[in-house]
Amino acid sequence: MDALARAIARPERIEGLAERSPLSGLARRSVGFADVLAQSVSAVAPAGAAFTTPLLVSAVAGATNLPALAAALVIALLTASTINEFTRRMAATGSLYTFVARGLGTGPAFVAGVGLLIGYGFIAMFALAGAGYYLALLITRIAPIGLDAVALGTGAMAALGLVCLLVLARGIRLSTRVTLFVEVTSVALIVVLIVAVIASSPEGLVMLVPDSRAFDVEGFAVAATLAITAFVGFESSAALGVEAKRPFASIPRAISWTVLLSGLLYLGSAAAQTIGFEVTGLDAASSTSPANDLAAAFGVPWAGFLLDVSIAASLFACAVASSTALVRVLFSMGREGLLPQVFGTAHSRFRTPFVASAIALPVVTTVPVVLVLVIGDIWAAMTVLIIFAAAGYILAYVLACIAAPVFLHRIGESSAWATAKAAIAASALTGVVAVYLIEETRGDRAIGVWGFIALLAAGIAVYWLRMLRRPWLRHAIGVYDHAVAGDVLGGIPDAEWVDDSGAGGRRGG
Amino acid sequence: MADELAAHGVHARQPKAIHSAFTVLEEVARCGAGVTAREVSANLGMPRATAYRLLNLLVQEEYLVRLGDLSGFALGRKVAELAHLVTPARPPQAVRSIVAGVRTHVRGGVHLAGYSGTTLRILDEDPDYRLADAARLTRDLGVSAIGRLLLADLDRQGVRSGLLSSGLVAETLHRGFAVQTGAFDPARGCLALPIRDLEGRLVAALSLSTTTDRIERPGRLLGVLREGASRLGPLLS
Repeated sequence: MDALARAIARPERIEGLAERSPLSGLARRSVGFADVLAQSVSAVAPAGAAFTTPLLVSAVAGATNLPALAAALVIALLTASTINEFTRRMAATGSLYTFVARGLGTGPAFVAGVGLLIGYGFIAMFALAGAGYYLALLITRIAPIGLDAVALGTGAMAALGLVCLLVLARGIRLSTRVTLFVEVTSVALIVVLIVAVIASSPEGLVMLVPDSRAFDVEGFAVAATLAITAFVGFESSAALGVEAKRPFASIPRAISWTVLLSGLLYLGSAAAQTIGFEVTGLDAASSTSPANDLAAAFGVPWAGFLLDVSIAASLFACAVASSTALVRVLFSMGREGLLPQVFGTAHSRFRTPFVASAIALPVVTTVPVVLVLVIGDIWAAMTVLIIFAAAGYILAYVLACIAAPVFLHRIGESSAWATAKAAIAASALTGVVAVYLIEETRGDRAIGVWGFIALLAAGIAVYWLRMLRRPWLRHAIGVYDHAVAGDVLGGIPDAEWVDDSGAGGRRGG
Repeated sequence: MADELAAHGVHARQPKAIHSAFTVLEEVARCGAGVTAREVSANLGMPRATAYRLLNLLVQEEYLVRLGDLSGFALGRKVAELAHLVTPARPPQAVRSIVAGVRTHVRGGVHLAGYSGTTLRILDEDPDYRLADAARLTRDLGVSAIGRLLLADLDRQGVRSGLLSSGLVAETLHRGFAVQTGAFDPARGCLALPIRDLEGRLVAALSLSTTTDRIERPGRLLGVLREGASRLGPLLS
């Protein structure tokens, strides 16, 4: 241990380290693994998706619903593992946008950035609308007041949007704690229900063996595509790169666990629904609230009520988590100068991207409220919003998967397996997004697809114009949390760094 | 400790991996800041995949830090923290000669221990009379005179650990030094004298370990130790 002992006894001075991170101002290294996991899990909102996704998948894939879900899980795992090549090496708040910038450069980063902003923004709108819808449903059930569903729903959405803004501004720990509690409760309820249904008729398990004769390739592809949209959001903890303690350990773990946990939950839920509908003789396709119908058929109607509460709560948690990621991407862009500098301002006491939240949340709340009022139906509005979100997310995933091998090559750490899995994930996801968008253009929600393409083009154009006027941006984008002097043995002494307790700065030497 | 290791999934199979991790750490220290993953793997003749995995693990645990464009590595501050926990810096020459002077006047082991917060560490162990169980002594503060002195002092400041009965605390504070007999060896014991800075904060202890008989009736020994402790005060604070 000679060299190590020498290095410790007389640390070599390392020059060129900044005193503070380019992303300073946030509560650096302040949240633990549970909070990071909560961020990713809530953005996926598995409790909400566990009932809707298997139904949608079954409607398309029929008996091959479980294999389609399993295929989606494998693709999601490969994507997560590829994204983790970045999260193990780089702590950022810009999530995939920053990663793509570091791998492929400015142009692709714009595309990924706009895609990601659309993804986070529209999933937050979707979740807010969904939470408002369920809240309105619960209010009318508990205390029937003579308001119509749309008025009540939009009112609830506006109120929830305000709560969301307060939670976001107040501090990262509050956001993640709220979402963690809500998500754990909802998932626990669903697991109980799954176990209850399967245990009540274990002989139904044979029905889960897929019939190979009924295999339909196109249906399977569309079903797997739908299933993948239920996983989007798993990477959102990457936006907590600055705020997580031990980010290079906790973020990759949170991302992998989220995909695995959600996948298992979906598989379990799909199995329970297949068995449940078969045993009770109910028709899955005509069921508007499968959780409620199943719970009622199995003699536990209160469980259905509880599930509605938990789905509403889970959707609200999803809104909080997606906005959390959204405002951090905006914060990153503000710090770089790609957006006005004011986006990169952090609140001095709460140490949150306060200005970005105050600008983004009103938009995230107003758009779905207006859309619902125009369409006149919350569900219909939600199905349009989710198209924007899913397409934006998957576009960003594809670019991140292409960027990963380039990035690894650039820092001299490429490997055959990393390249292979990135290639598989990128081509599978490209297929997915193509199938998904083409499928949707045929239906009555085609407006969502064209809207997405128009918004994407507009976003890229705005960024491009901004960069033409500020050519130096080419070298400025993709900021991440550099090692500061305080992190490195022999870094410039007297560096300012922030301690773990989050109580404020202290002098380290 | 063994339980803790088991809980973290360290198995009998893994010492080799731990050895490799240290080799990687050592190589980064040898090459200096900015060494790349490829260089580490080439210098050590280690398969690239293994080297990358180990480097990333060490980055996760923050023993290594990626620099600048993320391709270069440097030792993290945690390496130094770890080192200070394991081997405290050797006390200065002036301190060591005073302790050595005390040793020539006393039959028994004379040790110097330092305190920081609620932990103690041995700064200068008597080479002729080794400590019976240094690990237990630093871990279990209630069993040694050095530890009891710290506990009594913490208690005086209102930090109650519950490791020491209130009777013993009062007795230690009243006496002005701490005593222990029979905890490590039935026939032996030790006493520890406080070394304080100008503000009266406890910074270190000079301890004597010898037979129970002599601990109970220290007589002239106490004077020698007191004198040593008072001379050490300004040097250690």
